[in-house]
Amino acid sequence: MKIIHYKEVELCHDELIVLQDINFSVSEGEFIYLCGKTGSGKSSLLKSFYADMPIKRGDARIFDYDLTKISRMQIPFLRRKIGIIFQDFQLLNDRSVRQNLEFVLKATGWKDSRQIDEQIDLVLNTVGLPKKGYKRPHQLSGGEQQRIVIARSLLNSPQLIVADEPTGNLDPEIAAEIVGLLHEISRSGTSVIMATHNMSLIDKYPAKTYIVENENIKEK
Amino acid sequence: MSKNPEKAKRDSFFNLYFTSTISIAVSLFMVGLVAMLLLWGSSATRYTKENLVVSLVLNDSTANDDIKRIESYLKSADFIRQYHYISKEEALREHIADIGDNPVELIGFNPIKASFEVNLKADFINDDFLKNFEHKLENYQFIDNVAYQKVMISDFNNNIRKISILLLLISSILLLITVVLINNTIRISIYSKRFIINTMKLVGAKAWFIRRPFLWRFVKNGLIASFIACVGLFGVGYYLQRIDMSLPLYDYRFYLPIIVVVFVVGFVVSFFAALFGINRYIRMKSDDLYFI
Repeated sequence: MKIIHYKEVELCHDELIVLQDINFSVSEGEFIYLCGKTGSGKSSLLKSFYADMPIKRGDARIFDYDLTKISRMQIPFLRRKIGIIFQDFQLLNDRSVRQNLEFVLKATGWKDSRQIDEQIDLVLNTVGLPKKGYKRPHQLSGGEQQRIVIARSLLNSPQLIVADEPTGNLDPEIAAEIVGLLHEISRSGTSVIMATHNMSLIDKYPAKTYIVENENIKEK
Repeated sequence: MSKNPEKAKRDSFFNLYFTSTISIAVSLFMVGLVAMLLLWGSSATRYTKENLVVSLVLNDSTANDDIKRIESYLKSADFIRQYHYISKEEALREHIADIGDNPVELIGFNPIKASFEVNLKADFINDDFLKNFEHKLENYQFIDNVAYQKVMISDFNNNIRKISILLLLISSILLLITVVLINNTIRISIYSKRFIINTMKLVGAKAWFIRRPFLWRFVKNGLIASFIACVGLFGVGYYLQRIDMSLPLYDYRFYLPIIVVVFVVGFVVSFFAALFGINRYIRMKSDDLYFI
């Protein structure tokens, strides 16, 4: 079953065309790499999935949402189905790891504190950091912070994880660990779309790859 | 050696919120000061007007029944604050006390006439009303004349009108400056949190979930600043009271409207500045955060 379906989509930033004539789809549990040079439009395409980049024209659907017509009220509900991972982590530095995760759960409607604790323990275990909950983001290494971001993205059992250069700030060994973890998550049924320009990672963990170049996207 | 993160967080929180609270408090203090000046001016005007005496001088031949009749009229008139009857004898005693000479010894009779000294309510001290009042009193044949300081009342009212317009203009400008200052202080504080707001959006938080803690924080700040401003205003009031005991600054009723104005301005401006400031970032695309 397709969770993303893009047909002849055009993405613009202000009046400037970023990508055009995009035909792209993603199935459940699929792992996809988006490759391309810096500035080629990988991040813009990823942002369009969570309605942070307007779609100028075309048919763009994700889950049950029509991205060309999505209302401001619907956007938080779309984003709860998507786990977003950034290169620069974007953790809330004014609170501990556990509070970061708790915040996301509370923001997305979780109320029962026991269930919140259980879910936090579950995702911290999944990313291999069960004992780091009390630390603040700046007290963790880059790799650990990225694992926490992955944990955060898993909190609402998303159907899709969007990772924008998640290994960009990490050394090769840690980067490989992170990609391995994302593949593991993908095998459990969550689709993963990862933007990267690190070809060695793709060689190590092969998957369907799209190249973003010349304002377009094509399968490798 | 690295700083304790908890302490660093407390320090940064203290600096950010302390400085923004003090900035807002200073602005509100200015608003309160102008409100205080306006109220004091209005209170002083009322005091001066209500102490203005209109004398109804009676003919020597006025009978006791006539005196009772005019007294009854003054008693029933809703524009009269108070009145006082001064008999010929009492007037003579006052004259001797004031001037020192006894006219009876000089001319053989008491030339000073009996009168009613009337204080009107402040709202009725104006040229038109006083003319009407004077005209009405002319119907009483036993009233020799109605005396009051016509020129002074006219000048006083004109000057008060001019001063009131000037004060209102100054207070409007100050209020505008205060709104701009509070708005800027809050916007800068929210600007520093724009990436946190963006992260909240991207994890699926609804707009109100993001707004709520910010609104609460800035409204609380506004109320604390209002409290600080009020303490400052009480201080100013206390100091002025010590300089001039005739000022009505000892009375809590005088402060009540000022406190209300300061707290309402503090609450309303903080709430709306925070609301508009946060909404701006909630609606902003992630990319645009880097261009502001």
